[in-house]
Amino acid sequence: MKLKDRTALVTGASRGIGRAIALALAEQGAAVAVNYRSRREEALAVVKEIEAAGGRAVAVGADVSDPQQAKRLAEEATAGLGSLNILVNNAGISDDGLIYDAAPNAWWNVMKVNFGGAYHTTHAVMDQFMAQGEASIVNISSAMGERGWIGQSNYSASKGALNSFTRCAAIELARFGVRVNAVLAGFTPTELVEEVFQRDGGKSIKRQIPLRRFATVEQVAAAAVFLAGPDSGYTTGELLTVDGGFSAQLGIGRP
Amino acid sequence: MSETLIPTTTDHLSAVQAAVADALGIDASEAVPEATLLGELGAESIDLLDILFRLERATKVKITISDIADLLQGGIPDEEFGDENEVVNDRGLTHLESVLPQFDRSRLDEPLTAEGVLGLFTVQNLTDLLTERAQAAASA
Repeated sequence: MKLKDRTALVTGASRGIGRAIALALAEQGAAVAVNYRSRREEALAVVKEIEAAGGRAVAVGADVSDPQQAKRLAEEATAGLGSLNILVNNAGISDDGLIYDAAPNAWWNVMKVNFGGAYHTTHAVMDQFMAQGEASIVNISSAMGERGWIGQSNYSASKGALNSFTRCAAIELARFGVRVNAVLAGFTPTELVEEVFQRDGGKSIKRQIPLRRFATVEQVAAAAVFLAGPDSGYTTGELLTVDGGFSAQLGIGRP
Repeated sequence: MSETLIPTTTDHLSAVQAAVADALGIDASEAVPEATLLGELGAESIDLLDILFRLERATKVKITISDIADLLQGGIPDEEFGDENEVVNDRGLTHLESVLPQFDRSRLDEPLTAEGVLGLFTVQNLTDLLTERAQAAASA
């Protein structure tokens, strides 16, 4: 177990990629604070699953887009489990649509959670991370933050912001022994991306991915665990793409 | 409870010198007590933060940049500390003379601005603040 005696906070961990990360961190021995915004029951189920496997976990409700709630989240997680030294900024939403007919506040809501949430939660834990001199922050971002997709302008922009924030936070925090990296997930079937798969169950997208399959939440979680733990001890400011080769490709990679 | 050892001022000076040297990548012998951190030693704001967190890890005493700012301004409102051009006025200078033993307004080459105040802070000043905080924590 690579994360014994480590304590993690995972935002948006009641389902999807966040849930998989919480379970994977716990499997490596970390105590885990499972953050949720509205899905308390599901978060408690994640806690139960970790405890059943012999781990330690607490569920903490908070909307990370609000700086006060992010602050309280860090305080409650610390009170419940002890000093934190791993933060996984996973909470994210989408509000897809063409720029032409999107609601004027759609971009702001997405930005507030996807970028603002990571910003606020990072700020909320950084004092204790810096004081310890050894900690890791992993931002769950998207390959979409580096490339474009019709209908995802605000989501893509929010992930692009998260990627830039990852680099800046990495260089600001390096002096304090805090590493900051991001996982750029490719297409991962979760409730968040349901719309993308609506047309044909994702068949047309799958054909364009070099590995010819979607990511599993466990595969994305494995990359997050690597960046959270000692195996990536000299890695900071890195955007680790987990997309089956999709963004390595030019166009569809063939005639 | 085991007896807590209260470090002497000499220990605090060497703790500050070590933190300054490590944060700035200089030799501890260069971090002489009278050297100003932001001025003579060339520390940037992130270096100062680095110095304070290194001190916290080494001594378990927390000092924040706003603690230093509060010490230097002494709770005097901005508009009473300096004039409309942010040049520190008589009240501000008098306060600085009371908290920074080495500060002497007659030796200023040019008017002191609010921005320049933090630049007066020396290795010794930080050591004194550390000693004061450590004693306050020990007697709490």
